[in-house]
Amino acid sequence: MLSRRDPATQSEGVVQGYAQTAQRWPSQPLVRRPQTKSELTGPAHLARRLGAVRGDLAGHGEKRALGQLIHIRTRVVDEDGAPVPGAVVEVWHCNASGRYKHPNDSDHAPLDPNFYGAARLVAGDSGLVELRTIKPGAYPVPDTAGWWRPPHVHFSVWGRVWLSRLVTQMFFPGEPLNQADVILNAIRDPQARNRCIATLTPTAQGPQDALMYDYQIVVRGRGATPRLEK
Amino acid sequence: MSAMSLIPTGEMTLGPFFPREFAQGANDLAMGTEQGEVIEITGRITQLDGRPLDNLVVEIWQADSQGRFDSGEFFGWGRAATDANGVYRFRTIKPGACEGRAPHINFLLLYSGLMRHLQTVMFFEAAKDPVLDAVPAERRQQLIARREGAAYRFDIRLRGDGETPFFDD
Repeated sequence: MLSRRDPATQSEGVVQGYAQTAQRWPSQPLVRRPQTKSELTGPAHLARRLGAVRGDLAGHGEKRALGQLIHIRTRVVDEDGAPVPGAVVEVWHCNASGRYKHPNDSDHAPLDPNFYGAARLVAGDSGLVELRTIKPGAYPVPDTAGWWRPPHVHFSVWGRVWLSRLVTQMFFPGEPLNQADVILNAIRDPQARNRCIATLTPTAQGPQDALMYDYQIVVRGRGATPRLEK
Repeated sequence: MSAMSLIPTGEMTLGPFFPREFAQGANDLAMGTEQGEVIEITGRITQLDGRPLDNLVVEIWQADSQGRFDSGEFFGWGRAATDANGVYRFRTIKPGACEGRAPHINFLLLYSGLMRHLQTVMFFEAAKDPVLDAVPAERRQQLIARREGAAYRFDIRLRGDGETPFFDD
């Protein structure tokens, strides 16, 4: 069985300042259901169906994307802190000037011909996925009263079972826009919010030309590691 | 006792810019499997004002025709995105009953404006089932698909009149 989450560590459904939430989040309370085999299983070999795509979004030489080179080291773990080997992780973000390469993005910021902005990674035995990319820019949200999205990276992650599925966003430390972001601040508990912000780590190890960020994603589920009685 | 207890990361919205390539190419679960009755599942997804939602991501998880999950003979997981008319489509096989559960398909919705993903379940008929029974009686009909030829139609209303029941786990 998966334990229920503390609502304070999650976002409200309807969020002030984000008009679409009031059109889309159900008005009726969510129904509590028993957990059965159906919710507590999942595709164990998802990576066979959704394989890795593009492990490097920054490129090299003449094909190098514009912007600050960064390296994001993400660990996918469960509630016991045990790594989730084979976890599939989808990542996407905008370019250094704040523009997504997506038909829905009508922002005036320019596209970068050397930046595509989407990757799919598969975690190794330690639950680790690494992505070399450039730091995304901030951008204004259309039809709002001055809401700017801080630099952020989208993550879509599969854990061990159907109920472990997680879609979230990673933020960067020290960004003034983090304080006012409607999405980040919809998570009520300040500690839970802080865990959505990556840690800038010294680069004594690893790539010397990129800013290293560490980030941990905790998916629902536990008990995959042997546990002692009592 | 476990040495560590971590709190699951907070969910956040998919946003409007989920790469289209990720949502495509995974909505045929019947391909390559020998077993079961091949069916199509389709439906329209709308919001409070009735507007159909474009490029909403739908993921499903289901048992094989024998009621087995992750059996090796059938993958059981798929993903689709709605089109400009709010319509999604899956081709799959009809799942069997499993350990006290009536045949059903788990649905998960991801979209801009959904701060957390939404979970619902499609059933093929009114039947005794612990998850269906958890839903107030007057709302259960919303979770039962309508047969239309070889297809099952399962419309999803996020909010408003005829709102689909969603689950909290």
